[in-house]
Amino acid sequence: MKAKVLYLITMVCILAAGCAQETTMIDTMHDEGKAVMALDYRDFDMAASKMVQSMLASGALKKADGGRYVVATGRIVNDTTQRIDTDQLMVKIETEILNSGQAVMTSAIGSGSDELLHETRELRDSEEFDPNTAAKRQTLIAPELTISGKIFQRSIRYDRNTQQIEYYFQLKLSDVKSGLRFWQDETLIGKRGSNRSVSWQ
Amino acid sequence: MKKLEIILVGLIVFASGCYKHDEPKVHLREEVGSDTAGSNIVTRPVTHAFSALIGEGIEVNQAVTRRNDAGFLELYVNGRNESYNTRRFRYRIEWLDADGIVIETKTSVWLPMSAMGKSPFTIKAVAPRPQAVDFRMDTRKWE
Repeated sequence: MKAKVLYLITMVCILAAGCAQETTMIDTMHDEGKAVMALDYRDFDMAASKMVQSMLASGALKKADGGRYVVATGRIVNDTTQRIDTDQLMVKIETEILNSGQAVMTSAIGSGSDELLHETRELRDSEEFDPNTAAKRQTLIAPELTISGKIFQRSIRYDRNTQQIEYYFQLKLSDVKSGLRFWQDETLIGKRGSNRSVSWQ
Repeated sequence: MKKLEIILVGLIVFASGCYKHDEPKVHLREEVGSDTAGSNIVTRPVTHAFSALIGEGIEVNQAVTRRNDAGFLELYVNGRNESYNTRRFRYRIEWLDADGIVIETKTSVWLPMSAMGKSPFTIKAVAPRPQAVDFRMDTRKWE
């Protein structure tokens, strides 16, 4: 009797293991997976690629004297129903701005600021640190341009069974001194799918 | 009876001869512009079926590059969708430096493109580095 029960349990375990959904790695280079209603990495890749190309083509980052602009990242508002870390978009854009050779990003101020930059400046008066190795006063460079933007969504009932979700990515590049806007663009990603799919996570 | 056939054929030939061509820069689609001898309610299903049978699709006629004022290479790919249906596809552009090495960039991702039937289209891309001197482009079906 005991052997029979053991045999049954073993068989059930083997069968259950066979039914489990196998975990696979996503081929992010050539992902042929179906589109989803929520924003996924492909949407951020696409939006970032379009935005960077638009910004570079506009010539807004080309400084007249041939130098490089100092750019700070401002607030990127997430006005969608999803919990989005806006760095998912901005890190790609900042990387491309840096690599373009036309501008440098600042970590001293803005949403991409590094707290340690300010903390290390407090070490000037510490007796534990050599004051000559601490950052001097008035050495931080102020930004000349800022990037800010917004990601928002509109959900529309398409028909009885279908919903349409429009995601808008908007970015603008402004000059700090004059307040003038040098560049701005918008990328729309639209999705249509079942009413039962959820776009919030 | 034969007379009627001759009159009909004559009328068709005459009508097609009278057809006034539109301004070449303006594309009037089927069922927007006037019917012609070659495109009308009778011939349309046949030409569409034939086009699908011979597998007409996207043709690329020209790829032009130029350096913009900011110093980045710009690419314009001009093509035409020869089929009667809208063709959706994805493309990816990789940029090459003077040594022919691929430049690593986050802008080299699969981007969607759509071209309406029997219409020209242009894909524009900008290299994100001034070092880019050449490109290569790949396409795939829009799943």
